[in-house]
Amino acid sequence: MNRKTPLVAMSLLASTLAFGAHAQSNSVTVVLSEELEIVEPCSATKSNVGRVLFQNISETVTEMDPTTGLQPRLAESWEDVGNGTWRFKLREGVTFSDGSAMDAEDVAHSLVRMKSEAIACEIGAKFFGGIEITSNIVDAHTIDVTANPAQPILPMLMSTVTVTPSTTPLDKFVDHPIGTGPYTFDEYARGQHIKLSANPSYWGDQPTVQSATYVFRADSAVRAAMVAAGEADIAPNIALQDARDPAMDFSYPNSETVFLRLEHAYAPLDDRRVREALNLAVDREAFVGTILANGTLLATGITPPSTIGYDHDLKPYAYDPERAKALLAEAKADGVPVDTEITLIGRINNFANVLETMEALHAMYQDVGFNMKLEMVEVAEWLERYAKPFPADRGPEIIEAQHDNANGDPVFSMYFKYHSEGQQSGLTDPKVDALIAEATAATGEARAAKWSELFGYIHEEVIADVMLFHMVGFSRVNDRLDFAPTIRTNSELQLSQIEFK
Amino acid sequence: MLNFLGKRAVASGISLVGLILLVFFLSRLTGDPTGLYLPLDASEESRNQFRAIHGLDKPLFVQFLNYMGDLIRLDFGESIRRSEPAIDVVLRGFAWTLQLALITMSLVVVLAITLGSLAAYHVGGVFDRIATFFSLVGASAPDFWVAIVAIVVFSVTLGWVPTSGTGTVWHWILPISVLFIRPFGLILQIVRGSMINALGSAYVKTARAKGIKNRPIIFVHALRNALLPVITVIGDQAAALLNGAVVVETIFGFPGVGKLMIDSILQRDFTVVLAAIMVTAMAIFLMNILIDILYSILDPRIRY
Repeated sequence: MNRKTPLVAMSLLASTLAFGAHAQSNSVTVVLSEELEIVEPCSATKSNVGRVLFQNISETVTEMDPTTGLQPRLAESWEDVGNGTWRFKLREGVTFSDGSAMDAEDVAHSLVRMKSEAIACEIGAKFFGGIEITSNIVDAHTIDVTANPAQPILPMLMSTVTVTPSTTPLDKFVDHPIGTGPYTFDEYARGQHIKLSANPSYWGDQPTVQSATYVFRADSAVRAAMVAAGEADIAPNIALQDARDPAMDFSYPNSETVFLRLEHAYAPLDDRRVREALNLAVDREAFVGTILANGTLLATGITPPSTIGYDHDLKPYAYDPERAKALLAEAKADGVPVDTEITLIGRINNFANVLETMEALHAMYQDVGFNMKLEMVEVAEWLERYAKPFPADRGPEIIEAQHDNANGDPVFSMYFKYHSEGQQSGLTDPKVDALIAEATAATGEARAAKWSELFGYIHEEVIADVMLFHMVGFSRVNDRLDFAPTIRTNSELQLSQIEFK
Repeated sequence: MLNFLGKRAVASGISLVGLILLVFFLSRLTGDPTGLYLPLDASEESRNQFRAIHGLDKPLFVQFLNYMGDLIRLDFGESIRRSEPAIDVVLRGFAWTLQLALITMSLVVVLAITLGSLAAYHVGGVFDRIATFFSLVGASAPDFWVAIVAIVVFSVTLGWVPTSGTGTVWHWILPISVLFIRPFGLILQIVRGSMINALGSAYVKTARAKGIKNRPIIFVHALRNALLPVITVIGDQAAALLNGAVVVETIFGFPGVGKLMIDSILQRDFTVVLAAIMVTAMAIFLMNILIDILYSILDPRIRY
C-alpha cells in the first residue's frame, strides 16, 4: 500500500458518510421540479419560489387558509375604516432575521415595492393590477391601507403581500431574502441546492423541522426515485405514472383548472350554437382514470369548487355528439361558416399528459365534424397567443390553458379571464363586465351570490369557453414524515407544518 | 507551428464573430422575452419598463452594436432570468460540464482503445464477439432510458449510489457511466476496424518476422498508425460532450452548460445563450487545435 492509498480510502469513506447522512432526524430534503430563477419574496406567488419562501422566510400580513378562512399572520386584526381604507394592527415583538424590528414602515415599504415598475413583482402585477394602493402609518404597529378603486376583499389581498425590511431596494430583486418567518435563508448554491434553517428569534412557536434543503430535478421519475431511495423527503409534484406507491404517494386537488378559451371575435366561434357543440363534443368522463388521474373533477367554472360563490348546481356538459352535430348543421343552415378551420392550441408540458389530452380533444372535435388543426407550442409562443395584445389576424383559435386559484375567491380570476379589458379574456360582454364589478364590490353572502350568478351566466347562457377539469396533483412523501399535501401544496410548502412520526 | 497556430487563431476568431452574428439574430427571431418574465396580468407600462431595462426597446441593429461594444470590454451582459452576469452563469455550468467530459472521455479513450485493439487482434474470437456485441448495444442505447433504468436498479433497488445530484464521489458514478456507454461503443468499433487494417499491413508482418512480441506490435507499431481516424472520432465525441450532455444533466440534476443552454433558449435569456455558445465554441476551437497537433505527432508526414 503506498502513501496515497489511505488518503483515497478516507476520501471515499467521507463521501460515503456524506451520501448516507441525508436523513437527519430533524431536517428535511425537498426535491423541486425546477431551479428557482430568483429568490424574491415579492414574487413568492410563483409556485416554485413560493414553496421555498412563502411563510417559511417571508410572511404575509394576513393568511388565507382554505379550510378556516382568513387568519391573522403579521397583522393581529383589521377593520374597515371606510372610503376604501382598511386599518391593520400589526403584531408586536416581531423581528426580521437580520435582527431589525418589523413595524408599519416595513409593511408600507413592501406595498410600494410590490408595485415598483423597476422590478415588476409577480404579486403586485397579479393581485393588485389596476388597483392603486396607498398607505398611512398611524403608529409603529398600525397602518391604514387604501385601495383605489375600493377593494372589499383588501384583507384577503393582503394575504399575498410578503413583508420585507424597509431597507430592501425598490429597483432590484434580492438574492438573499430577509423575512420574519420561522426559517432563515442560509445558502443558495446555484444549480445545486438551497438551504434554510430554523430562525431562533421567530415570534411564534419553534418548528419541529430545524433545517431544510431544496434540490432540483427536472425529471418526475427521478424526483419520485429520490424519495423512494430516502434521499429526499418530499417531492411536491410528480407525474401520474410515477405515483404508484400508495404508502408514499398522495393525490389532492391542486387548485388548477384546465379549460379551452374560445376566441369569440372570430366566426364560427362567435356563434353560441357552435360553442355549445364544442362543449357537447367532449367526452370528459373518458379522460378520468385513463390519461388523467382518478379523482380529477369535471369543471363548470374556472376556479376550484372550494372558492366562494362556486355554483355547485351547475352541471358539466354531457357527452352528446349527435346533438353537437345537429347544432353545427343548424348553424350552417343559418349561414355560419362552421367549415372554417379552427386552430386548437395546446401548451407543451403544461400538465402531465397534456399532449394526449389535446390529441383526444382534437379527435373528438373532428368526429363531430369540426375542421380543426392541433398545434402544440412552447410556453413563449403560447403566451403570445393567450394574453393581450393578441396577434393580428389570428383567426378562430381555441387555446388550452390551466388556471391556478388557491386563494379562495374568484376575484383573482374573473377579471383577467372574462372582463372585456381582461388581459387573457376572449370575451366582450357588458353583462359579464357588470357582474364582475358588482361581485368585486360586494361582501359576505351577496358577494357569493353575485359570483354564483356570474358562473351560471358564463357557463350556461354565454357558453364562454369549454370547461374541462379540476386537476389532481401528486406528491410523494417519505413515510418518516407526518405531513399530508393539500390544495396549498401547489403554491406553498410550510415547513413549520411538517412533523416527524 | 507558430505560424499554423496564428492562422488557426485568426480563423477561429472570424468563425466566432460569424457565430455571434448568427446566434444574436436567430435567437431574437424567437420573440420578445417580456411575456415570459412578467406576470400575465402585467400592465403595458411594466412591459415597456422591462424592455427598457434590458435594452430590448431599441432597434435590433442598435442592440447588436451595443452588445458587440460591451463584448469588446468583456462584458457579456446580464442574465434576464437570474439577474447576474451571464458569463458567471455560463462558466459555473461549464466547469461542471468540463469535469464530466474530461473524466468520461479519459475513461472512454483508455478502455475503448485497449479493448478495441485486443478485439482486433483476436478478430472473430470470443473476446471480439463479446466486445462487438456490447459496444454495438452501447452505441445504440438511448441515454434517457439507460439513465432511468440505472437509477431504478443501482439507486432505488440496490442502494449502491445516489440517484442524482452532486456533492460526493458517489454522485458522479451514474452520470459518468451513462455518458460513457455511447462514445465507448462507437470508438471501440472504430479502433477495432482501424486496427484490423493496421494489423494486416506489411510493416506488422515484417515486425512479426523480426520476432517482436505481440504487445509492442499491437500497442506501439499498429496502434500508432491506426489512431488517426480514432482521434477524429474522439474529437467529435468530446465536442458533443463539451456542448453539454443535456439528457444526462437533466436526469441527474447536474448543473452543466447543456441544460443551461436549452433552458436559456426556451426562456429567451439571450445573453446566456450567446455567452454559452461563445464559451463552448472557444473550447471546441482549442480542442481542434490540440487534435491537429496530435495528428502531427502521430504522423510525421503531417507538417503545418
